[in-house]
Amino acid sequence: MPADQPSVADTVRSLVTQRLNLNGYSQDLRPDDNLWSLGMTSLTCLGLMLSIEDTFEIELPEEALKESTFRSINTISAAVESSRK
Amino acid sequence: MSNPTMRSSDLVFAAGAKRPTKADVVIIGNGALGMFLADELVERQVGSVVVVGPSHRDTGASQAAGAMLGCFGETTTESLRTNAARTRFELGISAHDKWPETLRRLDEFAPSDRPLQTTTESHIILNSVGAELDTVNFAAIIDALDQYDKPWKEIDPTDIPGYNPRPESRALRAIHLPTEGAVDARGVLASLERRLRHGGAILLDQTVRRLVGSDEEVTAVELDDGHLIEAGTVVVAAGIHSESLVRTVFDVPDLMPTFPGLGFAMIAKRTGGEPFTSVVRTPNRGFACGLHVVPQGGGLEYYGATNRLVHTISSVTWMADVRFLAQYSMQQLDERAATHEVTKWCSGNRPVTLDGFPLVGWMPLSGLYLMTGTYRDGFHCAPLLAEHVANELQGKSGIIDSIFQPIRKPVATRTVESSIDEYVTHSLAAWFETGAQAAPQMTTSQLTDYYRNMAVQTYEQLGVDYALGPDILWYAQGNLHGARRVARYLRTFKGDGDVDQPTGATTGTGGTR
Repeated sequence: MPADQPSVADTVRSLVTQRLNLNGYSQDLRPDDNLWSLGMTSLTCLGLMLSIEDTFEIELPEEALKESTFRSINTISAAVESSRK
Repeated sequence: MSNPTMRSSDLVFAAGAKRPTKADVVIIGNGALGMFLADELVERQVGSVVVVGPSHRDTGASQAAGAMLGCFGETTTESLRTNAARTRFELGISAHDKWPETLRRLDEFAPSDRPLQTTTESHIILNSVGAELDTVNFAAIIDALDQYDKPWKEIDPTDIPGYNPRPESRALRAIHLPTEGAVDARGVLASLERRLRHGGAILLDQTVRRLVGSDEEVTAVELDDGHLIEAGTVVVAAGIHSESLVRTVFDVPDLMPTFPGLGFAMIAKRTGGEPFTSVVRTPNRGFACGLHVVPQGGGLEYYGATNRLVHTISSVTWMADVRFLAQYSMQQLDERAATHEVTKWCSGNRPVTLDGFPLVGWMPLSGLYLMTGTYRDGFHCAPLLAEHVANELQGKSGIIDSIFQPIRKPVATRTVESSIDEYVTHSLAAWFETGAQAAPQMTTSQLTDYYRNMAVQTYEQLGVDYALGPDILWYAQGNLHGARRVARYLRTFKGDGDVDQPTGATTGTGGTR
């Protein structure tokens, strides 16, 4: 990956921060933090899913469309990486 | 459309073959739409007709239908608000006029002594269980009856034969519709089978795996065991399975999605008390068709029905739906129903399009015709649609409006703001209908705020500006699969002049944001 290209995890972090309105918290957001505990709802998860797919130009498999996929930056990044293979 | 008529062909059944390898018309789907179309084609002697569909009709809407021949009883505040909705409403009126002749045709093929038409009249009740939506839809029914100069009369609810609700759920108003009855859906389907066999059509108790053809035409269907049937024309009338079948040969992003409207009803044998002699029903209710009882003949009564849009096609029944239907039939229709004997559990999937309008017409691929998306009135409209489709297959003029063409942008009938209002009204109605309890200090206006907030947020998260019907909005907010299907489809129109406003389908107070 070129040095100036953000990693999947960085891009996911940016989308999570934006969609969940965590701007004041983003510095402390750890890759394994539970996003549902940080205020994500079924509706904001919906918007996050769409923005993840749009940004990475992927379509997550049907079986990935569940709460646990969107639990943390790590789980989302793993789903993105898996869909890109 | 590229295929204005059925191809003239010299296709014939292979001599001596148990199953045909060729046919002039192959109809996929043996529900009301497919069977009535086959009947019309056989009547017109257009050539060889093969109908493919499993005899159990599992997951189909027709085998589970209450089959009320009601257009005015189904009226809502939306029915006549826009030209597009009015066009659809008038489709129902035209269909209603075809049923007497339809029943005369089928009568001699009836499978039993029980009459196919089980009643010729309806009573609409207004009780206080269904919240404000019941009230406004009850008024809309009366307005529509007056607009179309149809007979009706306000009566004392206690005069309705068989009607015996619990006192706390009793109706305070009721009207009698002397010309809206019902048929025995399962009896009609059985009669059609017998009539079709008698007329020489082939009914295959199988399913179709895929359509066969190229980017330009469809030439055959492949059955689940690999058997191929060449076809002059393929008509896909497979209800909720239609979209996926079409996509086996024609996969484009702007093909309108169709969602399963899973519904539950039950048929019970009356064990005592005065029987119902008419359809007795509430107006259409929150996200659904209202509570109703339909006489079936032979001491049987049909109690229906629930409706929920789901992601997966199935014939499952939710315990919540059983509870809902059993409890509220006893409370709101006849308390004696508690001891009736359930003889059949009916579960089926209505084909619900994203814009709520049917999909009927030629597809861009030569030789492929689609008829589906009829939601909750497919059975009632089937004889009329059969005449229309038979005309089109023969190269004659159709008899229904062109707004139902299957390849179209979604018909717009409301603004996003009115969509949100409608969603809130339906949600509140559903809240009270299902017996949900709020804390004593919680008011209806607080519930309203909650549902409004949900709807506003759903639009924000979906990022769409097409105004959805309340059932589709509920579905999209309820699961990620649904949200993705709705959003992806609507986003295909971004930057393309937004959604369609077909000729003759102006939006009244509607439009898009």
